[in-house]
Amino acid sequence: MSEQIIFKREEDMPYQPISTGSMTWNKTGSWRYLRPRFDNKISPCNEGCPAGQDIEGAMVLIGKGKVLEAWELFKQENPFPAVCGRVCFHPCESSCNRKDFDEAVSINALERFMADAASRQGRRLSFKREKRKEKIAVIGSGPAGLTCAYHLARMGYGVTVFEAFPVLGGMLRVGIPEYRLPKKVLEEEIDQILDLGVKTEINTRLGADFLLSDLKEYPAVFLAMGNHRSKSLGIPGEDSAGAMSGLEFLRNVSLGKEVALGKRVAVIGGGNTAFDAARSALRLGAKPVILYRRTREEMPAFPGEILEAEEEGIEVSYLVSPTRLIAENGKISRLECLKNRLGPADEDGRRRPVAIKGSNFFLEVDQVISAIGEDADLAALPKRIGLKENVIRTDERGATKQKGVFAGGDIIQQPRTVVHAIGSGKRAAIFIDCFLKGAKWEGLFDGLRIGERGSLSIKRYLQEENERVPLSSKTVRLKDLNLDYFDYKKRKKMPQAQTSKRLGSFEEVNLGLSEETAREEANRCFNCGVCNLCDNCYIFCPDVAIQKQGEDGPNVIDYDHCKGCGICVEECPRDALVMEEERK
Amino acid sequence: MKKIMVGNHAVSWGVMLARAEVISAYPITPQTTIVEELSVLCADERLRAKFIPVESEHSAMACCVGAAAAGVRTFTATSGQGLALMHEMLHWASGARLPIVMATVNRALGSPWNIWGEQTDALAQRDTGWLQFYCENNQEVLDTTIQAFKIAEEILLPVMLNLDAFFLSHTAEPVEIPEQRLVDNFLPRFEAPYRLDPQDPHSFGCLTPPDYFMEFRYKMQQAMLKGKEVSRRVDEDFGRAFGRKYGLIDAYRCEGADLVLVASGTIASTARVVVDALREKGRKVGVVKVRLFRPFPKEELMEVVKDAEKVAVVDRNVSFGVGGIFAHELRAAFCNDKSRPPVFSYIAGLGGRDVTPQVLNDVVYQTYKKSEPDEQSVWVGMRS
Repeated sequence: MSEQIIFKREEDMPYQPISTGSMTWNKTGSWRYLRPRFDNKISPCNEGCPAGQDIEGAMVLIGKGKVLEAWELFKQENPFPAVCGRVCFHPCESSCNRKDFDEAVSINALERFMADAASRQGRRLSFKREKRKEKIAVIGSGPAGLTCAYHLARMGYGVTVFEAFPVLGGMLRVGIPEYRLPKKVLEEEIDQILDLGVKTEINTRLGADFLLSDLKEYPAVFLAMGNHRSKSLGIPGEDSAGAMSGLEFLRNVSLGKEVALGKRVAVIGGGNTAFDAARSALRLGAKPVILYRRTREEMPAFPGEILEAEEEGIEVSYLVSPTRLIAENGKISRLECLKNRLGPADEDGRRRPVAIKGSNFFLEVDQVISAIGEDADLAALPKRIGLKENVIRTDERGATKQKGVFAGGDIIQQPRTVVHAIGSGKRAAIFIDCFLKGAKWEGLFDGLRIGERGSLSIKRYLQEENERVPLSSKTVRLKDLNLDYFDYKKRKKMPQAQTSKRLGSFEEVNLGLSEETAREEANRCFNCGVCNLCDNCYIFCPDVAIQKQGEDGPNVIDYDHCKGCGICVEECPRDALVMEEERK
Repeated sequence: MKKIMVGNHAVSWGVMLARAEVISAYPITPQTTIVEELSVLCADERLRAKFIPVESEHSAMACCVGAAAAGVRTFTATSGQGLALMHEMLHWASGARLPIVMATVNRALGSPWNIWGEQTDALAQRDTGWLQFYCENNQEVLDTTIQAFKIAEEILLPVMLNLDAFFLSHTAEPVEIPEQRLVDNFLPRFEAPYRLDPQDPHSFGCLTPPDYFMEFRYKMQQAMLKGKEVSRRVDEDFGRAFGRKYGLIDAYRCEGADLVLVASGTIASTARVVVDALREKGRKVGVVKVRLFRPFPKEELMEVVKDAEKVAVVDRNVSFGVGGIFAHELRAAFCNDKSRPPVFSYIAGLGGRDVTPQVLNDVVYQTYKKSEPDEQSVWVGMRS
């Protein structure tokens, strides 16, 4: 506290006015009528991740070299970071604000980087859990089923997973080729789930080996059988020897079965299965050609996969539809096709192919692989479960119309991707827990929902309600950032195996980021909406009213002295502060 | 060691030798190369200083104010419009009694746009409480930079040193670089009487009511007046340490002169040549260079011109409605002195126009011809 001095003469005065002590007793905060507040918001990547991973938080940790902590953060929400780091179509990156600034952060490559680091160091997560007596049946061991099993097991439930095939992993195991997702990587993450005490029954198919009604001892069931049935081409000659579906082909290759392909292989379709099949055929020594009825623009396969296939020299014929398979001596020899042109747009916005009359031509082929889409075989399910157009209709919890039966993955009404499957498995785990506890669930979403696109956080679900920091409802967009504080910086990409080395081998194509590159890339993250202690507010505050609390923060506002000028809010690069009217 | 360097680099090297600790500046032609060179010196650690790039000159001076309040030696440089933008903070710096040193590369103010030499920018700041030096050559620029810190830190007022755009800033001359050891002896570390210190918090420059404000202003005025004596002493000390001194003014061949020219900056150099030629012809002409403008060296000037019949001031600047500013100051300074010679005022070289020997000859010729000064300043070297 300063003391007051009365000067009698000019000579007694100092050369400039200076208080004799600290002036903090002068509570200038009383002048304020607007009040800044630290307010973390939703990063668009976090909103965009259907698996509900805290991507922004992981970027901070990787940037500081805390790679394993970052991995744990992901692993809280998703048991498959090593898988997703390889095969996810990364909607996080298409949501990344940085993409409209220079280029999106390489989140997918970083996810793989941290998972690989955790694997190299043999890191496992352990969970504190209370044992629960209820048992849950999970049907299907794909990403949806195993994710659901993982989260239920960590909550203490006994889980049994039923799998029709002799191996676990569903599409991850029998649909995605080794060069995109090595079996070893998948098995390691599955093992970590099984280590939680999850039981499995392989070679046990719903319908053939058991019925839903046989699962009486399980008060809750999660259906996640996936889409393993190929759609047929519906053209003459489809049953001839030398024709098979893409799924069957990929499954046979994955299971190590002998697959005799001829030299010239026509793959029909433009989705990921078509590309996986063509690239696998190439590696088996065949010369594949992809026939697609529209153009590259309308192709549903992930752009990265199309690019890699092109690099590998795979031929794609656009605007071509097969009309007839012609067999000689019981074996396919030719494929009759029609040329198309693009007509008006479909209901999904893609332009529809229109056949050009008389444009028939023939291709000499030894093998035809059809990959024009998959659907689910739901014949074994009772009608009351709620089916529409061969898809299970669930409510917002993932519950079917039959009490205690939940569903997820490709067989419900959602995009058919690995990460959506994972998200639906987690959602089911949360609401199966609610169901078994007889707990109210309607009000839960507000506390768990990350943004507006349906992502949920199980980490938040497992927190005590009173420790849950309220979630902002605002997702930060580029316009909310103060871009003056960011430099343009090129996105780091994973190195890839040379094309020449890819042919004739199922070795992994993408090779992972180095530690240094990963750190640099993670530091490109804007940390949209989340204070990362950049200290701009601290530096700019003219009243020294931002106070630091050690290295890990958080920074706090000294409202006794904050005059509410708003400079901290203005200069925050990432919209982690808000200005509000002072309530007196 | 002698080095060939432009005037701007002479500033930078002076700052390096003075071991400034915080430099904050915004680039502007023709000052830019001062800051460029300083950033190089900082980057390769020949100068261990915090270099703060800013978005404007106003901020540059604000940074210097903050740093100087924390008790460190600070420097900035600017020119023309940049100095004008700094105006508000110039008052703050002097009012807070902060010994900031600034180099101003004198440049004409727009509009119309012009990047060339003219002193109106700095002279428009003459009431801001800064000492002002005007330099004639690159050696003087370097030496004055070092002296400026010493003067500022003794009287606790900021010092501005001025150099003509391009004529000095971008012209290379041999410059003797003083030894660092000698500079360190001459200019020890700055010990601020009060400084910002989080461990010992005080409020500085707080609201001062009418019953105290005038006293602080009075102290500033006293410090400014003391600045003349301190400047003289520092220059003499510098002379003893380095063998070069400049004086507050510099009289050249003024003994027995009936006409004394008054000039500043590079015009003084040209005037010396003109004076030599005229003396050769038997004309009793001398020139006095005004090096220190604030505080104004009235007594020193009077001592030089008191026996002359006429004084002719050449101003590369203009105060509209008044005329040449040096002339105006001189008249004001002399007005109560009965023995003062008449002061003739000439304006020349605005916006970087060359002030050639012919122009100065014209000044001398006109002054001889007229019995008394015109009411208004006479513009010389105009298009005709």
